[in-house]
Amino acid sequence: MATEIIMPKVDMVMDTGTFVEWLKKEGEYVEKGEPLFVVLTDKANIEIEAPASGILAGLRAKPNDVIPVTEVIGYILEPGETLPGAAPGPEPERVVPPSPVSAADKAAPRMEPAAVSEKVRATPAARRLAAELGIDLRLVSRGHGPRGRIQRADVEALATQAAVRPSAPVIAVAPTPVTTVSGITPPASVRLPDARQKDVVMLSGPRKIIAERMAYSAATAPHIALSLRVDMSEASRLRTYVQDHFQRKTGQRVSFTAIIARAVAAVLPRHPYLNASLDGDRIILWEDIHLGIATSLEDYLVVPVIRQAQNKNLEQIVTELADLIERARTRRLTPAEMSGSTFTITNLGMFGVEWFTAIINPPETAILAVGQIMDTPVGREGNVVLRPMMQMTLSADHRVIDGARAAHFLTEVKQTLENPYLLI
Amino acid sequence: MSEADVRELTYLEAIREALTQEMRHDPNVFLLGEDIGVYGGAFGVTRGMLEEFGPERVRDTPISEAAIAGAATGAALMGMRPVMEIMFMDFITIAMNQLVNQAAKIRFMFGGKASIPMVIRTPAGSGTGAAAQHCQSLEAWFINVPGIKVVAPATPYDAKGLLITAIRDNNPVLFMEHKLLYRTKGPVPEELYSIPLGQAVVRREGRDATVLTYSVMVPRALEAAEQLSREGIELEVVDLRSLKPLDQATIVASVSKTGRVLIVHEAPRTGGFGGELAAVIAESEAFDYLDAPIRRLAGRDVPIPYNRALERAAVPQVEDIVAAARALAREGK
Repeated sequence: MATEIIMPKVDMVMDTGTFVEWLKKEGEYVEKGEPLFVVLTDKANIEIEAPASGILAGLRAKPNDVIPVTEVIGYILEPGETLPGAAPGPEPERVVPPSPVSAADKAAPRMEPAAVSEKVRATPAARRLAAELGIDLRLVSRGHGPRGRIQRADVEALATQAAVRPSAPVIAVAPTPVTTVSGITPPASVRLPDARQKDVVMLSGPRKIIAERMAYSAATAPHIALSLRVDMSEASRLRTYVQDHFQRKTGQRVSFTAIIARAVAAVLPRHPYLNASLDGDRIILWEDIHLGIATSLEDYLVVPVIRQAQNKNLEQIVTELADLIERARTRRLTPAEMSGSTFTITNLGMFGVEWFTAIINPPETAILAVGQIMDTPVGREGNVVLRPMMQMTLSADHRVIDGARAAHFLTEVKQTLENPYLLI
Repeated sequence: MSEADVRELTYLEAIREALTQEMRHDPNVFLLGEDIGVYGGAFGVTRGMLEEFGPERVRDTPISEAAIAGAATGAALMGMRPVMEIMFMDFITIAMNQLVNQAAKIRFMFGGKASIPMVIRTPAGSGTGAAAQHCQSLEAWFINVPGIKVVAPATPYDAKGLLITAIRDNNPVLFMEHKLLYRTKGPVPEELYSIPLGQAVVRREGRDATVLTYSVMVPRALEAAEQLSREGIELEVVDLRSLKPLDQATIVASVSKTGRVLIVHEAPRTGGFGGELAAVIAESEAFDYLDAPIRRLAGRDVPIPYNRALERAAVPQVEDIVAAARALAREGK
């Protein structure tokens, strides 16, 4: 009987796969378990093995085709068999199946992709983490360990993609594909007849994850934005005051982002709904403050996480943040270090942005967008004076947080930054 | 006391100092063994001690390991604290009956009314070109005998502190010295101090894999860790120091932290202590943290060859540890 070759679901958030290439040709004999074709997922190019032994026929996927998972892209026929729905034809004569002996020699115990019923080979650490996160290990088609064994890193990678938090109860956020959010139907295809194309870049890897998660957040969480300006005179003074000492001790400069992170970590424990996640009909209030700090790389954005920021002093935050950012830029962060945040800060001040609103990083309930510090005329005791002002904009999920609640938090952050000496 | 105040002694000198200080401290402590008096010991450990303590307390014996062990057991039974020396660990086979059937059992056979406070000091291990009958590491045999404790220090500091504890222990303690460590130097305080048995020490912290080891393999593992650190792989090196009693808590904590473990010892792999360590880990709560199979790197299952190149190839060297640990740390990453 003909075996269907389908686009496999090789990770949890995958709805379509981008076909890269066939590794065998139409009419060629393929052994079960041999690499058959390559698919591009969010993470990497993945070789998919032949689900059966036989002759390849009806291969219809072409490079760069975006194909829904489970769609049939070809067949493996037994000798003498014809394509389903095709007229019987002569068997290609040149194809001689290898002898059973050599087939047995080659039959290494390999995991097949999408063969969910097979026994999972995974390390105890991978099983433990998967159990904690509520991840079905059968969704990992093939681990990176020897002979496809699933290891901890594979589960972490899956967790990151699915935005499942490693250190806390699971919230399975299922990002909806960009093209089908909330029943909004995009145009059938992008056609601009009088525009010349420069290039076509595939939406893949981290870019695709960001696209899906931001679309999911924007479509599901009704955002409210509140903005205010903070007088950064004292925070600047504090920074100047501790700069030399910190630099001597830690080798790191004190960034405003670190000071703001410290202030947010100090204030958040009194505002649990801003350090929370909406999970169905439950709002989970997190005890730990895992602060995500949005960090731009050349081609995309990552959010390294300062864990338990509520317990860390300014010096620790400065040191940890510098380390995380350095390793983010050199691509050495582990998936665990880039996931599981409970609140995010994004600072575009260094790019000269005065203010902006940010999209909430799901499954969080709020995000703080920070603009540039600018000398600005303000009224003080009846006089107009120049002060270093910084505009902060809080985006909050209105399902969980009302305006007044958001305002209380934002105001308290402002007050803390304007009287920052208790933060050291 | 600052570091600058601590003297450096060799491993051999540290052992001699422990013996000397304990003998000054406790008149019941005495030494017996082949060529330990006039000659000062095959490796010179007891050199000068006959002059200080006289032939009653530093006793040259006939060439009979069975007699040495029997005499030591009897003396211990009568309240002395003998420290017997077996010139090469290989020769301990001849003393086996006295040690295994008598010394290890008497306290239990007499319902605790008698005890055998004795130490069996013996140089073990290969690396000196002394061939198959002078190079063995036979710890696994003794670890399997209830009633005997087994200690294998890796540094001069530990050699002194653990030997003092072994002498003061009321049970037979097999004290394994390593020939290649005798000339290694390290800080050793002058005063009497003791290190409890059953306490491992983390010699180097790391996140990527744990190396569990002891004796001469500790400095080799540390050298391997240093090399791998330059590749960005951070090994955690645990020096067990005392094999029985075994510090399971430190092992479990380290393996739980790194999720990967390489066990390294010089003794042959099959039936070696590494198998026991692997079982301890697999049975413990560390199991759920394992992210790769437990690996052993041990001596080959061959008698130690006389040929120096083959002798080297028969037991783990730094480069072997580097290769094994690198492969382990990278598995699945």
